Amino acid sequence: MKKLISLILAVAAVVSVTASLTSCKNTNNEEGLKMAVVLAGATGDRSFYDSANEGLQNLVESGAVKGRLIECQNDASMFTTNLISAAESNDMVVAVGWEFWDVLTECAPQLPDTKFIFVDNGLDGIGDNLLSITYAQNEGSFLVGYIAGKLTTTGKIGAVGGEDSETINDFIVGYEAGAKYANPNVQVQTQYAGTYEDPARGKELALALYDSGCDIVFQVASRTGEGVFEAAAERGLYAIGVDSDQKYINPDVIICSMVKEVGLSIEQTVSNMLSDGTWNGGEIWVADMSTGLIDVGYGDNTMTQQVSDELKEEVEQIKADIISGKIKVPTAFTSNE
Amino acid sequence: MSDFLSVFSIGLFQNTLRTATPVVLAGLGVLMTDHVGIMNIGMDGMMLCGAFFAVLGSCFLGGWVGGLALALAIGLLLGAFFGLFVIEFKSDEYVIGVALNIFAGGLTVFLLRTIFGVAGAFSGTDALPIHPLPAIQIPLIRDIPILGSLLSGNTLLVYVSWLMVIISYVVIYRTPLGFWMRAAGENPEALRAAGKSPEKMKYLASIICGLYSGLAGAHLSLGYLTMFTENMSASRGFIAVACVIFGRSNPSKVFLAALLFGFIDALGMRVQSFNISSNLTSLAPYMATVIMMIWVAWRRERRQLKIAKIER
Repeated sequence: MKKLISLILAVAAVVSVTASLTSCKNTNNEEGLKMAVVLAGATGDRSFYDSANEGLQNLVESGAVKGRLIECQNDASMFTTNLISAAESNDMVVAVGWEFWDVLTECAPQLPDTKFIFVDNGLDGIGDNLLSITYAQNEGSFLVGYIAGKLTTTGKIGAVGGEDSETINDFIVGYEAGAKYANPNVQVQTQYAGTYEDPARGKELALALYDSGCDIVFQVASRTGEGVFEAAAERGLYAIGVDSDQKYINPDVIICSMVKEVGLSIEQTVSNMLSDGTWNGGEIWVADMSTGLIDVGYGDNTMTQQVSDELKEEVEQIKADIISGKIKVPTAFTSNE
Repeated sequence: MSDFLSVFSIGLFQNTLRTATPVVLAGLGVLMTDHVGIMNIGMDGMMLCGAFFAVLGSCFLGGWVGGLALALAIGLLLGAFFGLFVIEFKSDEYVIGVALNIFAGGLTVFLLRTIFGVAGAFSGTDALPIHPLPAIQIPLIRDIPILGSLLSGNTLLVYVSWLMVIISYVVIYRTPLGFWMRAAGENPEALRAAGKSPEKMKYLASIICGLYSGLAGAHLSLGYLTMFTENMSASRGFIAVACVIFGRSNPSKVFLAALLFGFIDALGMRVQSFNISSNLTSLAPYMATVIMMIWVAWRRERRQLKIAKIER
């Protein structure tokens, strides 16, 4: 009896886990490229991963590919397994998240028949079957930093990062440079949460920043960042969203978002390959300001706008200056310089 | 140096209190089961369920009262479920605890996606707002310069947690019921000989533990934050278990342990601005836990040595 009940419990636990995994859409088309998108984290961050998923869903809806989504839920032990099993049953695997660096270095050469797209980090010299897409998040962050530098009334602004890593720091370096460009005296304080999953921690970090005099906080921390928006609402101060246009979450406190069109970049790469066979395997494609994939989002016109039209025009000018090379935005990546 | 002292602001202590409260509530639950001789490491998962059902109730049952009620109901159910397996079927409490944690993670993700149609996070929509727990302003205390902002203006369950620390202490150490519960853990045969059923006491403790998990979860998703996100309990249930071990299941000591943990965590966040690596500072609460555990083990050892000397 005891064993039976334990067994039932174990089965229930497994079913509930798999149920949550399979609840994502898995559309079947007869024809077309078979692709899988493997996320290091999970959908529902209302930014980075959701954007990648959107790209996949658009491709599936257009009928170009047959695709499925696999989430690793930030469980590093699942990276290798999920990536290999995806490669075995698909023609193309999109690995979303810089965390896949080690796994891809090891696996991509051993699976030459599968095309890999590595999103959010650059790997070259691995093989012709691996294309990397990196984003000039420092350039986008420069723009929101500029806005924050112009709008701050205390002369102090903050940032909450998910962890102290190169990719996250690339946002922060750009943000700081942008703020200093707008106002050389502005002070930028950064706090790292050490987790992407704990909104309560994000809220505490943001409250600590607001308490120390910051009036605008930029969140670069996925679900931890949700807490930043709540802290802003509680204090009546401002926050800046990341990766997707997050303004809709709380238009009264989110002044703008640094937008990184992850989904669109995947869509473009795949549709280019399907239409004329372009495949820049072995290369790193840096999606920078000039590609239009890096931008600032202000929500739509029905929402409260804290950023004035004049300031928006200045931002457009800076965008043009970055594209023309007049403004050089610093980066946290040592290899990209 | 004076810069460093600025860290010790009122914000630090408010932060301590906010961080500690979910751990206090969870700890009060865990210590009840610990007194009857069961260690409930499933608290983290039970809390997560509590947090989810609190949001669900708050959205669909009209306000925070509904949320709190649903969280308590789920807590009661999970507590009874835990008791059934551990007491009735004599399963290993650690296995059941781990199962509960995994089960809660999967269940809440699944329900979040099916009921609310979103993945990851739900923070309410215009059509379906989450009603948070009320913040309570205490008229006279509010006006005391520094203490006022600490003691007043907290959400409901913060006060409930303080009250329950006192009530738990009185019940466990000053009433026959508490005596029977402790006997159920320390010497169940003696309790049976006295005509009381140790099993009943264990069930009671499991259910109380479940109710606390509901409170802790509701505080997390309706008091501390106004949202549910996947895995939002973020190991607070395990920290509570550590605090219970450190405080040797004494409610007041567990309360202090939770405050200490909250303080170290809050301090860790703030010293980041002095160019101390965030990887080090976020380690602080866990390092503190390890140090606490070593201290507990060392004290136990010393006590046993003392007893051995006396006996010789």
